[in-house]
Amino acid sequence: METFEEFLKRVITIVFWILLLIPLIIIPVVLLVLVPLGVPVPTANRIFTAIIDPLVMLQFMDELGLGPSSLFFKIAAFPGFTFAAGVATLTILYERKLLAKMQNRVGPLYAGRFEGILQPIADLFKLISKEILTPEKADKPFFWAVPFLVMAVGGSFLALIPLSPEIYIAKSEIGLLIIFAIIGFFPLVVLIAGWASSNKFSFIGGLRALHQLISYEIPLLLSAIGVVLLSGSLDLMKIVDAQKSMWFIIPQFLGATIFYITMLAELERIPFDLPEADTELVAGWYTEYSGMHFGILQLANYVKLYGLAALFIILFLGGWNGPAFLPPFAWFLIKLFVVISAILLPRGTNTRVRIDQLIRLGWVYLIFLAFANLFIALAVASLGVI
Amino acid sequence: MKRAAHIMVDSLFLVLALLTIGASILALESRELVYGAVSLAVSLLGIAGLFILLEATFVAMLQVIVFVGAISVLIIFVVMLVRREKWVALPAGGEVFGGLLIAILLVAVVGYLAVNSGISSTLPPSYAPPSYTQIGIQILTDYWFALEILGLVLAAAVIGALTMAKIEGNEP
Repeated sequence: METFEEFLKRVITIVFWILLLIPLIIIPVVLLVLVPLGVPVPTANRIFTAIIDPLVMLQFMDELGLGPSSLFFKIAAFPGFTFAAGVATLTILYERKLLAKMQNRVGPLYAGRFEGILQPIADLFKLISKEILTPEKADKPFFWAVPFLVMAVGGSFLALIPLSPEIYIAKSEIGLLIIFAIIGFFPLVVLIAGWASSNKFSFIGGLRALHQLISYEIPLLLSAIGVVLLSGSLDLMKIVDAQKSMWFIIPQFLGATIFYITMLAELERIPFDLPEADTELVAGWYTEYSGMHFGILQLANYVKLYGLAALFIILFLGGWNGPAFLPPFAWFLIKLFVVISAILLPRGTNTRVRIDQLIRLGWVYLIFLAFANLFIALAVASLGVI
Repeated sequence: MKRAAHIMVDSLFLVLALLTIGASILALESRELVYGAVSLAVSLLGIAGLFILLEATFVAMLQVIVFVGAISVLIIFVVMLVRREKWVALPAGGEVFGGLLIAILLVAVVGYLAVNSGISSTLPPSYAPPSYTQIGIQILTDYWFALEILGLVLAAAVIGALTMAKIEGNEP
């Protein structure tokens, strides 16, 4: 039984050897491929300075078309995937510590010297080292495709979400509509996941998720339409610009509340976690997924959480608008922290609702309230308050 | 540069067309019903991709929301709930003839309409596709009657579904 420190020591040794082998083997191999292709190759001296000096490395990446201003870097690293995965990982740790403190427990404690801050890394290595099991009667092509499909759907969400006037991947005239089109894929993927496992718990979980996601997509869309009415645009940039004087949460408080409740349901979180009710259904539609498959699904879930929280900020909390003593991106991060905390909090205090309560809430109350909210938005817009 | 863009668009069109047609054939011929239903969703997605190639992003997104997000999910849902033994192979006979007749009629009508429409005229290169606001204004002014009829059909469908749900005698 080795402690986490010993384990970390072993991992650091492996990383050290990899870092040593990269300059000795991998870079010469890459050069051997690049030279016949006619790509301008820097001198060996410059490569070694690039390894030491980050500024030279940035120049080097720019020449290869991978610099911070290139589309590849945007998608793969900063406003895109790596940033979202980092936020998702921090959210998992924050959730565990927050809920533990709320319920008078300690939460993760041992990994890392201080309050278990290295727990996500420990979890990652645990999941990587576990075996990926495939059930004998599973539909194998679908079963193996599902984690990547979920990740792809959750990740494609991020391309449309601007984080500040300069930091964005893509902007579109109909950005909000595209985001709702992407949200529409989740029921399909979840249903395939539940069916492909050929396990009754997975299948029941998949069906419940389907009911829930389809019922709550309608109030989600309707509550966002109020914002579209007030700002007169589907472009997320223009929606944020329209909130310079007043955040839309003030005239659209009802809409923001509906959006928040439906967001919890879309994320399958307590009190709406029926698809993965662990006392009844083991883990719902991802019962059969193990090892890194489970890790990818979990990561995709939290990337989706980050995406929906960012969408809530853009629609109702004024995006990156704020007093000028902080840069816009900092305001965005502060609001992100607040909204993610608001999403996590019900998990520590609430119980699960029944399926009939869930369906009744969605189809009767929330849709009615969403229409009422639409009339409020119309009244506000026609009175010319904004 | 322009030539390269043309080749890019053409090859994308070829890939999307092959995907759409292949997935539709699979949707009809697949032995496993669920594969058929999923490949129907894939073929509908391919059509959305063709719309994007034509720079009609708004139509493409509506295609994804309505057909992939709602209709194909419902079809897969039904397919998964129905046991396979209940599907009986129909004896081939008059259906083939009827199907061929309907297909020929459909192709003739659609082809006639397409040939007589403005499809053969090419647009100037500076042509900008209409934005979604223009589409909305057109629907609410010139085509208001079609909108009203669509609303009536939807209302009738909702009332019909409610009535059928009540007849079953379930507690609402």
